[in-house]
Amino acid sequence: MSDVTCARGVELLMDYLEGVLSAGVMESIDRHVGGCPRCLAFIASYRETPALLRDATAEEIPGDTKRRLDGFVRSLSERPRES
Amino acid sequence: MVVPGADQSDEALAALAASGDGRAFELLMERYQSRIYRLACRMTSETEAPDVLQDTFLQVYRHLEQFRGASRFGTWLYRIATNVCLMRRRAASRRPGESLESFLPRFDESGRHEDTPETLSRMSHLDERIDRERLAERAHVALDLLPESYREAFVLRDLEELPTAEVAEALGLEPAAVRQRVHRARLMLRGYLNDLAGRLP
Ligand SMILES: [Zn+2]
Repeated sequence: MSDVTCARGVELLMDYLEGVLSAGVMESIDRHVGGCPRCLAFIASYRETPALLRDATAEEIPGDTKRRLDGFVRSLSERPRES
Repeated sequence: MVVPGADQSDEALAALAASGDGRAFELLMERYQSRIYRLACRMTSETEAPDVLQDTFLQVYRHLEQFRGASRFGTWLYRIATNVCLMRRRAASRRPGESLESFLPRFDESGRHEDTPETLSRMSHLDERIDRERLAERAHVALDLLPESYREAFVLRDLEELPTAEVAEALGLEPAAVRQRVHRARLMLRGYLNDLAGRLP
């Protein structure tokens, strides 16, 4: 694994970030990325992706929906459990 | 006598609820309500989320005895909620939209990124350059376009932030398969967002 390409680095990126690759493979990826502005740019944007989408979709439950659901839960919990 | 309380673990409350303690069930559902709501919005839509929650609560209530504490209660609950979302999506028989495949990174024959560092980082600080509502709307569109199996894995791992091992348990997959799906989803979504950023005025 001495000559990692951009394509190979991208393929292994999540495994790399989760730390499940061998030390040797991690090092060869580091060596490639360290000298590759394209990979540096790509990895930065890859790592930004989850947080961007997380913040954009963090919906709060509306008050009236919450009250309806609380009522539904109570209607269940007041039912005798069949066993 | 054990009284259900806020200081008790999910698993303890689940055991009480299974033995007929209604208050324990209410506390437990209260604890997870906002998380499951968010999950439902991410996996289906805001319109469908209330129904997803009702179905999930009902399933949990009916199957409480089957929760044996082999996994964390939260993992078990996510598994149920994820399945309910999947059923809803199937029932709604969504029209297949455009594929996100075209947003995957491209390489030349030597395996080098075809795009330049500048074009690869168009999406940097995207959230500061786009209207909040527009970004939310685009985010939902993109999630909706993901292949079914990628969406589940991505939402649980990256949006709900469960550890990979727990996502694997909730979806009945090996951790390596979860990583593979989450990774593919990240690649597609990254490309989608980067493309969106490139179209901004
Ligand atoms: Zn590279």
